[in-house]
Amino acid sequence: MRRYLFWGAVILLLAALPPLAMALGKGFYIDLVRRIMIFGIAAISLNLILGYGGMVSFGHAAYLGVGGYAVAIFAFYGFNNGFLQWGVAIAGSALVALAIGAVSIRTSGIYFIMITLAFTQMLYYLGISIEEYGGDDGIRLKTRSQFPLVDLADGVQFYYVVLLLMLGAVYLTHRIVNSRFGMVLRATKSNEARSRAIGFSPYPYRLAAFVIAGAMGGLAGALLANHTNYLTPDFMHWTRSGEIMFMVILGGMATSAGPLLGASAFLLLEDVLSGWTEHWQVILGPLLVLSVLFFKRGLAGLLAKHD
Amino acid sequence: MTEALLEVRDLRKSFGALRASDGITFDVSRGETHAIIGPNGAGKTTFISQLAGNLRPDSGRIVFAGEDITGLPAPRRARLGLARSFQITSVYPEFTALQNVALAVQARSGRTGFWRDARSDSSLTEPARHVLEQVGLRERSHVLAANLAHGEQRQLEVAMALATRPRLLLLDEPMAGMGIEESQRMIELLASLKGEQTIILVEHDMDAVFQLADRISVLLYGRVIATGRPEEVRANPDVRAAYLGEDS
Amino acid sequence: MTFELFFEQLLNGVQLGVMLFLLAAGLTLVLGIMNMVNLAHGSLYMIGAYFAITVTQWSGSYLLGVLAGLAGTLVVGMAVEGIALRTLYERDHLDHVLATFGLILFFNELVAILWGRFALFASLPSYLQGHLALFGDVRYPLYRAVVIVVGLLVAVLLWYMVTRTRLGMLIRAGASNRTMVAALGINIRLLYTVVFGFGAALAGLAGLMAGQIYTVQPGMGELILIQVFVVIVIGGIGSVRGALVGALIVGIVDTMGRAFLKPLLSTLLSTYAADTAGPALASMLIYLLMALVLALRPAGLFPARG
Repeated sequence: MRRYLFWGAVILLLAALPPLAMALGKGFYIDLVRRIMIFGIAAISLNLILGYGGMVSFGHAAYLGVGGYAVAIFAFYGFNNGFLQWGVAIAGSALVALAIGAVSIRTSGIYFIMITLAFTQMLYYLGISIEEYGGDDGIRLKTRSQFPLVDLADGVQFYYVVLLLMLGAVYLTHRIVNSRFGMVLRATKSNEARSRAIGFSPYPYRLAAFVIAGAMGGLAGALLANHTNYLTPDFMHWTRSGEIMFMVILGGMATSAGPLLGASAFLLLEDVLSGWTEHWQVILGPLLVLSVLFFKRGLAGLLAKHD
Repeated sequence: MTEALLEVRDLRKSFGALRASDGITFDVSRGETHAIIGPNGAGKTTFISQLAGNLRPDSGRIVFAGEDITGLPAPRRARLGLARSFQITSVYPEFTALQNVALAVQARSGRTGFWRDARSDSSLTEPARHVLEQVGLRERSHVLAANLAHGEQRQLEVAMALATRPRLLLLDEPMAGMGIEESQRMIELLASLKGEQTIILVEHDMDAVFQLADRISVLLYGRVIATGRPEEVRANPDVRAAYLGEDS
Repeated sequence: MTFELFFEQLLNGVQLGVMLFLLAAGLTLVLGIMNMVNLAHGSLYMIGAYFAITVTQWSGSYLLGVLAGLAGTLVVGMAVEGIALRTLYERDHLDHVLATFGLILFFNELVAILWGRFALFASLPSYLQGHLALFGDVRYPLYRAVVIVVGLLVAVLLWYMVTRTRLGMLIRAGASNRTMVAALGINIRLLYTVVFGFGAALAGLAGLMAGQIYTVQPGMGELILIQVFVVIVIGGIGSVRGALVGALIVGIVDTMGRAFLKPLLSTLLSTYAADTAGPALASMLIYLLMALVLALRPAGLFPARG
C-alpha cells in the first residue's frame, strides 16, 4: 500500500512540475528535474546489476557514451530520425555490453572491477581519438531527435517523454527482478555457492542482466545527449561511473525507489555545493566516503524504517 | 542385483605433499543409504567436494548413472540429479524459507522468465510447500531464512536438496550443531526418505549413522579402510583401532 | 622507420614500464594481501610529484625534493590508511571502491586548491640533463635512462626482499592465504600498515620521477592508474613478478603502438584511414591485450593464489 502511495505521489509531483514551474517563472527547474530523471534511468540500469546482481561494474558510464554518440553521430550526418537514433543507441549499447560482459563476467571480485574500469577507459580514449566527431572537445547536436507526434525541441514535451520513459524503466526493472530470471540473479548475489549447488550457472544470468543494463544505459545516454545538446567523451569517463554508482548507493541498493532518490539527492547536492564554491568536490569527496561508512542502507532505507 | 548409481574409481587429490584423497574407490547402489565416517582430517570434506563438483580431482573417475561426470562443474551435476546439502549452513538469508525452496524447484524445472512474478507462481510455490511439509517446516514457510533457528536452517538445507528431485542426495553433516531433539527429528526425516532416495551421508553422529545406514565406509588418511554393513564395520578391528576405539 | 627511432621508442616503452611497475608493485600487494581495491593509489603518485616539485623549487635542491616526495607520500599514505582505510578492511569491495573514489575527488580538489589547476613545470638539475650516447648513432635522454635504472634497481631490491627476507615471506604468505597468516599469530595490523606504507613510497617514487616526463596536474594519478590496473590484471593479483612482467609488456606495447601503428597501417591502408584508425587502435591496444590474456588465463600470468 505504501508503495502505491509513494509512487502515486512521485508521479503526481513530477507531472505537475512543468506547469508549476512555468507559473512561478522558474523554468530552469524543468531542466534540472529532467536531468535528474535521465540520470535516474542510468541509476536504475546500474541498480539492476549492482544492487540486485552484486556486480560492481565501474564501467557503466560507457553505455551513456555509446548511446549519446549514437545520437550525435547520426545527427552529424543529418539522420535525425529518433527511432533510428535511439534504436541504435539501445542496440549498440547492448552489443558493447555483450562484448565487455562476455570477457569480464568470467572473472569476479577485484578483477571484475578493474576490468570493467579498463574497458570503459578504452572507449573513452576511442572517443577522444576520433577527431571526426570532435575528439576531446566533443560534438554539438544540431537538432534533437525527431519523432512523430512530439517535438523534443520543446523542453516541456521532452520533459514528459523523459518522465514516461523513467516510469517505464522503473516498472520494467520491477518486473524483471521479481521474475524467475530476477530471482536467480538475486540468489546468485546472495549466495553463489548455494545457487551453483542447486543447478544454476551464474554466468548466463549475469551476462543477460549486464546486457539489459547496458541497453537501458544506452537509452539514458541518448536522452542525455538530447538534453545537453552537446556531447563529449567525458560522458564516458570513469569518474562518471563512480557518480552513478554513488547515486545507486545513496538512494539505496536493490530498491525500486532508490535510484531515483539517489539521483535526486546527488544532483541536487552537486547543484547546491557548486553554487557555494568551485571546489565543491573537496567537500563531496569526504561526504561520499562518510556515506559509505555510515549510511549503507541509503535514502530508501530511511523511508522504509518509518513504517 | 541393484546396480551402482555412483561409482568412484581411484580418486586422488593432493594439496602439495598432503594426500587428501589417496585412491578412493567407492560404490553406492540405487536406493541405498551409505554413510561415510572418519576422524577429522580423514579427507571427508575433500571427498564430498570432489563428488559435488567443487574440487577437481588430480586423477580418478566419478561415474553417475553410467555417465562420467569427473570433469563436470557443480551446476551441471546438480541438473543431472546430484543434490547436496552443506556442512556449514548455506541458504539465502534474505529470502523466506518458501522462496529458498522455490528457487530449488525452479532450478529443477529449467524454465526461466523475465516478466511473470515468480513469487506468486504456483508451479513453483506448490511443490515448494510440499517439500517444506515433508521436512516439517510448513509453519515456518514465510519466515526469513536468517531468522530460522539453527536446526530449522539445517532442515531447510535438506529441503532445498530434495526440491531439486535428485537421484542422489549428498548430505554433509546434516546434524551439525543440532541438539538432541532436533537431531532426532532429522533422523526421522532421513529415515522417511530411505529406499526412495539414494543417500550418501557424511556424519559424526554415530547414533544416526547406525540407525540409518545400509552400508558404512570408513575414511582414514584419504583412504577407505573398511566398507560394509554397520555390524561388520563395528566389528572390524582396524576401524575400532583407528576410530571407534577412541570413543568406546 | 629508422633503427634509432625504433630503439628509442623501445627504451621509452621500458621507461614507461618501469614507472608502471613501481605503481603496480605496491598496488598488487595491497590487493593481494589486504584484499583492498585502492583507487586512491594514483593520488599518492600525484602527491609525490607535487611535493617533490614544490620543495625543489623552494629549496633549490633537487635531492631535497626527492626526499620530500618520498617522505611526504609515506606520511600521507600511512595517515590515509590509519584514518580512512583501516575500517574498510572487513568490508566488501564495493565499499573500498566507493570510499577510495571519494578520496580521489578529495585529493584532486585539495591539490587544485593549493596549487591551482594548471600544470606545474619542473626543471632538471644540470647533472641530469642532456643525452646519453649509446651504441652507434643512438642517443637517449639521460634522465629517462636514470629512471629506467632506478626502476630496475627497485625491482631487484623488491625481488630480494620478497624472496630472501622474513618480511617478504610473510608478504608472499599473506598474498596467497591471508587468513592462515593471521591464524598463525602474526601481527596482521602491522603487516598491513607496512605493506601499505611500502606501496605508498613506491607510488611516491614514481610520482617524483614522473614530474619531468608527464604533465603534473590534478587528476594525473587517474590517467596512469587505469594502465596500472591493466598491468595487474595481466600480471596476476598479488604477484610482484607478475607486476614487473606485466608492466614491461604494457609499457612497451603501448609506447610502440602509439609510435608505430599509424605508419604501419598507412603502408596497408589509405593515409586517411590510417590517420583515424591508427591513433584509435593504438589507444585501445593494451586493453585488447588485456582481454586476450584474460581469455586465456583468467587469473593473470603469475597469480599469487593457487
